[in-house]
Amino acid sequence: MAEKFHTELKELKKETVAMALLGRSMLRDAVDALVRQDEDLAASVVAKKEQIHALEVDLEEHCYRLIALYQPMAKDMRVIVCTLKVITASVRIGRYGKVIANIVKEIAEKPHISHMMSIPHMAELVIDMIDDSIKAYETDSLDIIADFSARDDTIDALRHSTFREGITHMMEDPRTITRCTHYIMVARYLERCGDHACKIAENVHYMHTGERIEIH
Amino acid sequence: MTENCIISTTDLNLWYQDKHALQSVSMKIPQNKVTALIGPSGCGKSTLLRCFNRLNDLIDHVKITGAITLDQRDIHAPETDVVMLRKKVGMVFQKPNPFPKSIWENVAYGPRVHGIQDKADLDRIVEQSLRHAALWNEVKDRLNDSALGLSGGQQQRLCIARTLAVEPEVILMDEPCSALDPIATAKIENLIEMLKEEYTVIIVTHNMQQAARVSDYTGFMYLGKLIECGKTGQIFEHPAEELTENYITGRFG
Repeated sequence: MAEKFHTELKELKKETVAMALLGRSMLRDAVDALVRQDEDLAASVVAKKEQIHALEVDLEEHCYRLIALYQPMAKDMRVIVCTLKVITASVRIGRYGKVIANIVKEIAEKPHISHMMSIPHMAELVIDMIDDSIKAYETDSLDIIADFSARDDTIDALRHSTFREGITHMMEDPRTITRCTHYIMVARYLERCGDHACKIAENVHYMHTGERIEIH
Repeated sequence: MTENCIISTTDLNLWYQDKHALQSVSMKIPQNKVTALIGPSGCGKSTLLRCFNRLNDLIDHVKITGAITLDQRDIHAPETDVVMLRKKVGMVFQKPNPFPKSIWENVAYGPRVHGIQDKADLDRIVEQSLRHAALWNEVKDRLNDSALGLSGGQQQRLCIARTLAVEPEVILMDEPCSALDPIATAKIENLIEMLKEEYTVIIVTHNMQQAARVSDYTGFMYLGKLIECGKTGQIFEHPAEELTENYITGRFG
């Protein structure tokens, strides 16, 4: 019975990694669509909303079924708890991708201001954090998430700088208000995605050690 | 462990002839708490339980070293009265074992052995014990019926009532639910929860979910050794020892 359970648990983890990568790709594609002002790519991100939602329901049910049937304990229990958190974080990341993709058509008609300030760089850093958090979950390794606190500080600083720069542009030229407001919102969404990567990292730490930490 | 401890073992070793069944077990049993002992078959958990009221004395060729104290008194000291020890430390076994007598006589048996003869006193003790064992309402109208006519779960609660009748401090339970169906098991588990207000309960169980449900502290034993003992939540959420982790997640045993 234990063997059957552990096979199912491995399968659950594999499917959760695939779902997390879908959420990550939605964010990646949304940022690319925004940078390149590619409305088709943005539409493809929006279209994935149903898919990620269906996966969320499926995987959560898988977790509940394993809890009901096997009453897992210790590390097995922690893996399932962590998995539920990874599922939620991945859906949120995917949804932010969708929200950013929806902005693409709103500001597609005019060129970007100042290369969107810090947003492309910020997006790279956030997506790296998401990649590392998924890898840590998949491989049960804590090394790659050890510096998340410092990386999260950098993301926060970049969001703040985007905010200030955006305000400056808007004061100088009110015709930029729509675009700059969207940039400020995108920076906020990216920062939230970084926070979700931190949440995944915190839960991977709990899964691995049984101890709770807070990354902020 | 900050709780008051009622039983404590120090470097306890037990041999059944050549078999070293308990190896240097040191543990503290907190008062008015439920402590569960878990571990694979043959790990020594029942042997340890039987040490607490010296039931192993009844087995030939048993050698015990180390100390066990109850209320800070050595239970192996020459002045210890074993009958009084077993009055203080009662036991409930795996299979319900009522005497082939009436329900009333089963419960009154112990107090009678300890010298209570007055019928009114005995009636009071029988009612109180059956109430504490959550059996009174089911049997109050047929106290003179044979105990063997009760269901398995009722028989087990009768055995608990019989143990309570002599006012013990500690109740040892060796797999008390393994012969019972889930409903009877749930009743015993609820009862254990109530009993700890007045008694200290030590339970041996193969059912880890049961240990997790009913106990405050859990000790994991393996091959005669106490591997880890701690708060139940901690043991089942993040045990300190890998061996414990592997056992409770079903990787062996």
